[in-house]
Amino acid sequence: MLRAAYRIAWKDVVGDFRRRSTLSAMLFFAIAVLVVFQAAFEPDRQEATRLLPGLLWVTVLFTSLVGLGRVFQAEEEDDAFEGLLLSPMPRGILYLGKWWGNLALTLLVEILLLPCMLVLFNVDAWDRLHGILGILLLGTLGLTGLGVLLAALTRAARARETLLALLLLPLVVPLLIAGVQATGIVLTQRGDLGPWLQLLVIFDVVYLAMAPWGFGWLVEE
Amino acid sequence: MWSTSPWPRGVLAGWSRSEAIVLKFLARIQPWVGWTALLLLVAGLFLVFHAPPDFQQGLSVRIMYIHVPSAQMALFLYLFLSGASLLFLWKRFSTADVLAEAAAPVGAAFSLVTLATGSIWGKPMWGAWWAWDARLTSMLVLLIIYVGVMAMRHALDEPAKGAKATAILTLIGAVDLPIIHFSVVWWRTLHQPSSFEGKLKPAIAGPLLTPLIVMAVAGLAVAAYLVILKSGNVAAQRQLDILESEGDDHG
Repeated sequence: MLRAAYRIAWKDVVGDFRRRSTLSAMLFFAIAVLVVFQAAFEPDRQEATRLLPGLLWVTVLFTSLVGLGRVFQAEEEDDAFEGLLLSPMPRGILYLGKWWGNLALTLLVEILLLPCMLVLFNVDAWDRLHGILGILLLGTLGLTGLGVLLAALTRAARARETLLALLLLPLVVPLLIAGVQATGIVLTQRGDLGPWLQLLVIFDVVYLAMAPWGFGWLVEE
Repeated sequence: MWSTSPWPRGVLAGWSRSEAIVLKFLARIQPWVGWTALLLLVAGLFLVFHAPPDFQQGLSVRIMYIHVPSAQMALFLYLFLSGASLLFLWKRFSTADVLAEAAAPVGAAFSLVTLATGSIWGKPMWGAWWAWDARLTSMLVLLIIYVGVMAMRHALDEPAKGAKATAILTLIGAVDLPIIHFSVVWWRTLHQPSSFEGKLKPAIAGPLLTPLIVMAVAGLAVAAYLVILKSGNVAAQRQLDILESEGDDHG
């Protein structure tokens, strides 16, 4: 069963590399956000360290919106969504496949983005890189998990991308708070990481348990 | 004032029997709920203006009699919305969806009133219209979620699909709201101590409590009346859509 999910994710990621290049769109969008931020705030080294967690998560959030807007686009363009639904697999597995594809792309962008940020803002945190990446991974699980479900809800909506942003932003407030606080603690090495990691895990577990059900309800006829 | 009811009359095409019965029941109780709400509101406001001014807050405490019931209703209506959505998804009960569609804008209005009255009270008390404390932040997020639910309803071309998507979104929000509140409370307490926790909730003495209780019940009645009123409009609109689509089939 999981093989089927894996194949859907593989199809999406490979198709993306060959044709649609969501990956490069996301990455350059993220870098554009960094440039805008630099132009708007001109942080010095001390400020950059203080602002980095918030900036990192804001960039990740907006960048993931770019990717989420395209999760179901290949199927929309070719009317292939019905074809996917006709395939003999549980709806939850279908959701899993879509989620994995989006997760892989988003994580890839984050792995490329983080070093770029440290270089551009001149923040020396290379020895704590793995800690920040770990928090990013934890947050991205829930962010993409909820995001792909919302992308499915708004798949056929008018003003799709605007609606997706309107729905996702308030719902990920807890994730954003926890991610920013945890990243700040890793960066400055001051404070208690425990509660924020708990909050991230709670968010992930709740949405990854709920999303396959929601998706199943949505697509049943 | 109450009698010009938009409720669909006669045979309700496209509704099952039990759904039609609930709609007819709502149409029947609508005037009674309306008068009750008005009566309670008048009585409550009379009591409020006869209550002694608070010794710390003076006369500005009176806005609390609007603020607190509004906040309760904003939260309660989301609970109601979630229940209706669950019933609709689980039993495919269309009337639950009508009630859900009606409750969302009413809930949004109550959360807006809560934020507005809170700001008006906050200016003389805290010296600022707004502070990012836990409750204010949660209420603002609740308002945005209400708006998102309303936007989802009208974003899809097929009303049936829109109804299903909206119900699922409502439940996603219902699961998220406790997490949001919990996270914001943590954030305000662990990150930086809030400047007015503890000062916010002094115990309320007897003479101030009676008007508050009356106003809370009045708030519930007003909310119920508005939801029923809106349900009538929604049901009539759907009836019209059904008739129009039938007309297209024959024409």
